[in-house]
Amino acid sequence: MVRNSSPMSLLPSHTNTRSSLQSQATIISNNLVSVSEHLSDHRDLLSSLVAYPGPDYPGRTQAGILEQLLRTKLDPRVEDWVARGRAAGSGSTPASAFTTSDAASVPAPSALAANDFKPLSDAELAELWAWAPVEANQEARRRNWGGNFTLEEREAGIENVVTGLKRQLEDDEGDEEDEEEEGDGDAEGEDEMEIVGVRRRSGAGTVEFDVAAPHHHKAEPVVPLPEILRYMTTGRMP
Amino acid sequence: MGIAPSHGRLLHPSLRVTAEKKDQPDTLPVEIAQINEQWGSFRDVNEDILQAKIAQEQEQNGAPPSDEEAEETDLDTAERRDRLYKKRNEIIQFAAQSHTEAMFALDFVSLLLSKHAPRQAETSMSPFLKQVAPLGSLNGEVVNPPAKSEAALNDIATVSRGWRIQNFNSASSKLLDAASRLDSEVTAESRYWNEVLAVKAKGWKIAGCHKIVKHSEFSTASLEATPIFRDRGLASLRRSADGALLLDKGLIPAGSRFVRVRVKEGSNISSSSRPSEQNSSNPDSVEYQILQARDSVFEEELYHELVREARAMAPSGVTVRQDHIRVPASDDLEILLDLVDSNDESLGCGRNSSDSENLLADGLAHSIRILLAFAHRQNLHRRTQIPSPLTGKKRPNPEYPLLRPALAYFQHLSYVRRLESFLRDIYGVLHKAGLETPDFTISSFINESKNPGHPAPPTLEVLLQNSLSPVKSVFRGDLLSSGSSFEITVRTTLLAPPLGTAYKVTVNSPAPDFKSPGPLGLREEVEAAIIHILLLDVRPADEDQKATPAEGHFWEPVYPHLGELVLAGQPRKYKKMKVSLSRHELSLSVHRVRKFDALGHGGQEPESQPSRLHVWICNPSEGTTAESSLIDFVSSQTS
Amino acid sequence: MHELLLFASVPQHQHHELLQQLAGLTAMQPRHALERRLIFKAYRKPGLGASRTGGSQDLQASGDLQRVTKMLNGGMFYTQVVGPVAENDFSPSGPDADVQMSGTEGNSAGSAGAYDYEQQPWRLEFRDVPEAGTRSAVTARVMATAALPCGDVVPAMNAWGYHFVTEYVVEGDMFTYGDIVLFLHRVLHYPSTSLEDKEPRKHLPALSEMSVMEKSGSYVLQASMTVLDGSNQETMKTASRHLFALREKLRSAVKLEMADRLSLDTRAK
Repeated sequence: MVRNSSPMSLLPSHTNTRSSLQSQATIISNNLVSVSEHLSDHRDLLSSLVAYPGPDYPGRTQAGILEQLLRTKLDPRVEDWVARGRAAGSGSTPASAFTTSDAASVPAPSALAANDFKPLSDAELAELWAWAPVEANQEARRRNWGGNFTLEEREAGIENVVTGLKRQLEDDEGDEEDEEEEGDGDAEGEDEMEIVGVRRRSGAGTVEFDVAAPHHHKAEPVVPLPEILRYMTTGRMP
Repeated sequence: MGIAPSHGRLLHPSLRVTAEKKDQPDTLPVEIAQINEQWGSFRDVNEDILQAKIAQEQEQNGAPPSDEEAEETDLDTAERRDRLYKKRNEIIQFAAQSHTEAMFALDFVSLLLSKHAPRQAETSMSPFLKQVAPLGSLNGEVVNPPAKSEAALNDIATVSRGWRIQNFNSASSKLLDAASRLDSEVTAESRYWNEVLAVKAKGWKIAGCHKIVKHSEFSTASLEATPIFRDRGLASLRRSADGALLLDKGLIPAGSRFVRVRVKEGSNISSSSRPSEQNSSNPDSVEYQILQARDSVFEEELYHELVREARAMAPSGVTVRQDHIRVPASDDLEILLDLVDSNDESLGCGRNSSDSENLLADGLAHSIRILLAFAHRQNLHRRTQIPSPLTGKKRPNPEYPLLRPALAYFQHLSYVRRLESFLRDIYGVLHKAGLETPDFTISSFINESKNPGHPAPPTLEVLLQNSLSPVKSVFRGDLLSSGSSFEITVRTTLLAPPLGTAYKVTVNSPAPDFKSPGPLGLREEVEAAIIHILLLDVRPADEDQKATPAEGHFWEPVYPHLGELVLAGQPRKYKKMKVSLSRHELSLSVHRVRKFDALGHGGQEPESQPSRLHVWICNPSEGTTAESSLIDFVSSQTS
Repeated sequence: MHELLLFASVPQHQHHELLQQLAGLTAMQPRHALERRLIFKAYRKPGLGASRTGGSQDLQASGDLQRVTKMLNGGMFYTQVVGPVAENDFSPSGPDADVQMSGTEGNSAGSAGAYDYEQQPWRLEFRDVPEAGTRSAVTARVMATAALPCGDVVPAMNAWGYHFVTEYVVEGDMFTYGDIVLFLHRVLHYPSTSLEDKEPRKHLPALSEMSVMEKSGSYVLQASMTVLDGSNQETMKTASRHLFALREKLRSAVKLEMADRLSLDTRAK
């Protein structure tokens, strides 16, 4: 009678933390993008502008500030960053490799790094970078990101899947050819499950139930409890 | 949860563009920037401070591990938290730094613009800058800058390409890491759940526990057990790193123990029970461990209940010592119960006898276990009934009948055997004396079947219920007197009053002399009653048999209950015969009496003429057998 | 005797889930229960000719008479007569069910498991108005139960000054949790209930023809506990405490509360 709870229900707080981290990161990233856009929009102007302090600038007292404002040298960290990029871009010629590793296994990145690589020319690199995003996107679309079953399971027939759950998992995804844009939003809505967990703390012998998000479409009682009790007591119909 | 990862469709690893990987990222510029941030300028930083800082850092958590592969586990939580905070601070520092840089850039542009659009530019200037630099104090001129050199452009391209490669690289590494982690996680998780399902499929109660992820609990103890054992029966199934099921025994005692039953006859241990065979061959399998855990909890509970029952049985001579229970079962039979380690080889020594001799101990061992299980079942039954109204009184928690049914059996067996041997002896005497008393029959261990309730409980429960009801045996025999029979019922119970063994002797006879003694408590009383009945029976038997040789002369029973008969018919020549029957002998003594004495009370008979006494004795045990038969003797006395 | 109660309304869609939760909590299988409940109402002022005529002969033997008379003469009350029934007491559903239904009252349906009204056991369940103004958050009321003779109870009830008002069937599952009885139930109406029904039914329709009173199919969860001596404050407190403990345990599943006092008002005005 005790139902197993899916591990998914165990992680609500984690999920919250993660999504808030993600949204923060997105905000920062967006800001960075907008700064970067501004800079590149006005690149011509900025690169041809020569700035110098006017006579009314209190150069004697505020030289430090002026130095900061009219910085000519990169910050050490930025300098380092540039240097590292340079080293990566030129230190060894741009390189890539097609290894013959088994597609079914996922090799650790370190293992890959140890392999020999044939260098890739600039043109090849450009070609790869042009091809990859499209290909990745297509690949992503072929996956079923939401839903209760993997593609393999659906191909083998979902009725053969042993879930260990008493309730029936709905296969709410359409057929696999469904090419519609997989937004994260709608998958979340469909994933809402009726999860009831029973927790028993040993010793105290207490049990608590956790009921997942309420179902909005289910019918709520029409006759209020007092009316039912009154009917049961006196036979008076509400 | 047979969710298998789709290996084949993972991003192909070979699509990664690799770049030269530095063994150690140069942290010095970062350090410089941090120092800049902290101390403002290098002017104030000297070697001592730096040394101190390095030392401090090393002291705290050694060199920060840079290789992401190596930073696996092995860090305890405190260390992990420290590292987390440190990384977090680093991120915040970087963010603050870039914020400052961006603000400087903004200030710069704002100050520059303030010359042309003071109102607008002012809004984006930092208050600090407004304070120190007057608006429009920065001039700017657009000049035609010299074209960047080819080398410089190349350099920029190289830098950007380098970073791009590196970023793709790290993204791809992270994805692959995540993929392999998910892969192993899914494998482990499916393995865990499959094993949990396997456990569940075997009928264990499994409950999810929210507190600890990757952990579920199951119960090894019966829900109807005493609460302390019920709660101790909870064990958790944890997941090891590779998904194998780990049994966290919690309060379940380690090792397996069992309640050993030993039967002691006289001063020798005659038989000893063995722990049940473990049928699982692999002691490392979770199933084996679960079974062992269950058995241990069950055995501990069994012993606990046995002790509880034994304490209540103190009046019957049961003693509870520190480590064992001693139960005197019957005359020289003693039962010893203790909780011992089932893996202790040394215990095997007591069991040198063959299996058949251990039947008693094994049977007893099984019966107490079956009865405990039955007690659990009855608890469930009671628990699910509509409870009676709450009163201030505490509900009693009676001891389970575990030992008492067996004890009742032993006691009963012993009493029945004694009675049987008594009857055999006395019948032997009678037969030897030539009396053809029909043999008696015994029906042992008849259950007093109660009217099964409605709806009828399962057969098994009826069976067990019967074993808890009083044990009954019935002796039946026909008497020589026509149409007469006797019946002795022996009934033993230790569960409900009247406790102990009770007898009931009934006689069915048309003769008025026979009166049923009814319920009797003591064995001696029963034996006396039997002798009495048979004595009464012997007398008419004599009568029948001697009637033929001497017509008109009858041995008339005057005091049949005392076995006294009188031969009447010849005045003044009364003869009185006294018949006495015991377990060992039947004796007849005949002497002449006066009429008055003959009809008077036999006990006061004057022994005035001992020479006239004729005695006939039949005592098979002593070998004293009369030369003539009983009938001959009677006949000779009659004439 | 006193009865302490808590109630909760359980929407239909939660029913199955709650059944399982209760089964888990109480570690027992639910006991399905079907009960006929007849509502009677006092029509005579107490003390006016509470005669012992009529069908009360059987009752005299039971020894419950005094109690019953006492409780029925205490005031003008609604009271319930409850009779447990089994599922197969109801007519088998099917095409021929209507034929049987349309038969005259006197004709026994003749089919196996036909309901025998004469053998129907009954018990009288008297419930007082819940105590007013109790500071504890449980419904507490005086209660008494007495066995009634089988079969037609109306004459006996009439003799006590009660007339039949209406009847319904309660369908549900019972659990026991320590001293608490949990009854997850709902009210079923007989088909085409004409409230003019003057007497209890002699035959039961097919169960499938019964309709739920609460149209959404919701259930009522009742947690009840009886206390032998209601004047003993200690036991009453213990009982409330047990109920509160249960309420806490079930809090995330259902909200057990004390009932609106007037909804359980048994006084006949």
